[in-house]
Amino acid sequence: MTATATKPAPPARHARGRQRPRHNREMWVLMLPALVPVVLFSVGPLLYGIGLAFTDAEAGRNHETTFVGLANFVDLLGDDDFWSSMRIGLIWSVTVTVLQFLASLGLALLLNQKLFLRGLARVLAVVPWAMPPVVIGLMWRLVYHPDAGIVNSTLGTDINWLADFSWALPAIIVMGIWSGMPQTTVVLLAGLQNVPKELYEAGAMDGAGTWRKFWSITLPQLRPIIVTITSLDFVWNVNQFSLVYVLTQGGPGGQTRLPMLFAYEEAFRYGFFGYAAALGVSIVIVVLALLGVYLWRQLREAS
Amino acid sequence: MRIKSALAAAAVVALAAGCGGGGGDSGSSEKPGQPVKLDFLSLAWQKESVAANKQLVDEWNKANPNIQVTYVQGSWDNVNDQLVTSFEGGDAPDVIHDDSPALSGFASKGYLLELTDKLPAELKSDIPQAAWDTVTFDDGKGNQGIYGVPFLQESQVIIANKKLLDAAKVRIPTTDEPWTWDEFAEVSKKLTKGDTYGVAWPMKSPVNKTLNLALNFGGTFFQTGADGKTTVKVGAEEKEVLQRIHDQLYKDKTADTSALGMGTADPLPGFFADKYAMLPVGVYLRQQVAEQAPDGFEWVTLPPLKGTTTEQGAVSQTLSVAADSEHPEEAMKFMAFFLNGPNQAKLAKGDWLLPTSQKAAADPAITTEENGWDVATGTAKSLVVAPFLKVNGFDEWKSKVATPVLQEFFANKISLDEAGKRLVEEGNEVLERYQR
Repeated sequence: MTATATKPAPPARHARGRQRPRHNREMWVLMLPALVPVVLFSVGPLLYGIGLAFTDAEAGRNHETTFVGLANFVDLLGDDDFWSSMRIGLIWSVTVTVLQFLASLGLALLLNQKLFLRGLARVLAVVPWAMPPVVIGLMWRLVYHPDAGIVNSTLGTDINWLADFSWALPAIIVMGIWSGMPQTTVVLLAGLQNVPKELYEAGAMDGAGTWRKFWSITLPQLRPIIVTITSLDFVWNVNQFSLVYVLTQGGPGGQTRLPMLFAYEEAFRYGFFGYAAALGVSIVIVVLALLGVYLWRQLREAS
Repeated sequence: MRIKSALAAAAVVALAAGCGGGGGDSGSSEKPGQPVKLDFLSLAWQKESVAANKQLVDEWNKANPNIQVTYVQGSWDNVNDQLVTSFEGGDAPDVIHDDSPALSGFASKGYLLELTDKLPAELKSDIPQAAWDTVTFDDGKGNQGIYGVPFLQESQVIIANKKLLDAAKVRIPTTDEPWTWDEFAEVSKKLTKGDTYGVAWPMKSPVNKTLNLALNFGGTFFQTGADGKTTVKVGAEEKEVLQRIHDQLYKDKTADTSALGMGTADPLPGFFADKYAMLPVGVYLRQQVAEQAPDGFEWVTLPPLKGTTTEQGAVSQTLSVAADSEHPEEAMKFMAFFLNGPNQAKLAKGDWLLPTSQKAAADPAITTEENGWDVATGTAKSLVVAPFLKVNGFDEWKSKVATPVLQEFFANKISLDEAGKRLVEEGNEVLERYQR
């Protein structure tokens, strides 16, 4: 992907600069069909949601919504449930992202070898991607079933994984890793195939072993892809909802209540729309901040 | 080229505008002579019950060509989330099946139609006042009103293995002379032998069960002060049942701790395999016992226990009309038909619950000794309005505070005093939000 993007741009660049005004107008007309739905269905609701965060909007006909400034955010800071939900959300997203990346890298390296039935194995690795999250959730509920589940019968344990206070979070993390592996694997595999063979040949000439080749050639070459996919995975994982909703609904006792589940409950179960919107805005701020620091460090090291 | 693209853009804009404006005006303009259409959201889930519901809807549609009812299947798991969004969006079903704890919140938010003046006299008098009390709520402005028609009620009974009871030579309780909690503890000890536990307490959702049973000793868990503010209360009365169940688990060791994480129906395989002798459960579980019990397995339904009284908290399943419904009169007519005596008997039989209709309660099909129906209907007189029904914010207290605290308490992770303290302190913080 990135390898092709770094090829020198065609000389047409200069010609385009001169004709900019006309191009601009045409560009806008051409983009209009794409922009209308974006503004209508994405930007509009987004601004509306941010606006809600500064009101005391609640469900119900008897309630008059008023502007309350930062009151929702002040309440959030003093809400223990919010902090525990954020803590659970960070444990979940960091663990899932890191382990998902390591597992996918292993799988991608394996699938990049000249294996017997490699095509079939590559297809199989993508299968979880084709499953809707609700089906994945239902499937894992069977896997963890205390009586009929494959985990208990394999390990010989008698644990109700999804209802146990200390096991519920690790249990959903394992599921999260599994369900997100295909896209990470596919992207990493594509990256691996773009690493020039000459580099490995040169490495072999210099007497580098397998480990050294991986460390000094594969990883640096993959770097832009790794940064991209881990950032994307992190955002996806923080915003994960459907998988966990199907599996545990945030239980037992809030042990798996990810921030998104918390916001959902506040809005649609208890009817505090304003508070839930404030929660959503806070999650965006936290994600942007963490991602900003990560990307900034990566880019600085890269240059 | 440029004209073409401009035209395409214009077409897209026109199309988008057309879509945006088109949705609003359909539905309200109905031609005279067209039948009125009603949506009926039903939460029936047991096979017999779904069949009974659909059959009644079909009967109605045949007899009333001018009012056609569409059966819409819902699920207890997510009905309240679904209803909040559809009330806010203005497309709620006309006739809504739910239960009284949910109505409390919906009534105060103004989503439901107040029914007092609309109820036909026959329906009103067939259902006793105690049941109407479970659907009488504040409308959010200080007026009390009726927001649903109560039709099915659940009570707690004990389902027991007859062979094990006979072998232990214990007294079989009757509705007039039930076991006391002390006697129950003794019996549990006698029944605990070898691999058999006297009792299994499935406590995956511990809150409603514990709160309903706590009334045996007068435990209400909520109190309303002179200033009209409701607070959580955990005193000696409330702690009684909690302590007794805890004792069975960890002191007498007559209750299996591994059953704690189970849902209500999960201990059944163990019950059939003589692992548990008694299950304290809701009356509806008799259906699954009757259906799944292996051949030759003998079971009995025992009346609920007695503390200082046999009182239990009652909630009702209800039918309500959405405030947005365009045809409230027709909806009420349908409900009056759906919930008349004979039909309630069919619904109660389908769901293995108690009907509120007095005519239905006299139906021989649900007073027979078979499958413990006589014991089940005998519990009806112990049902009183559950105190938590009128508490605004109960749902949030239940899921955020009470469920985790009670689960930790029954798992022996925290002491009774600590559990009580958290129920009150964290609970009052939650309730505070609803009383601003």
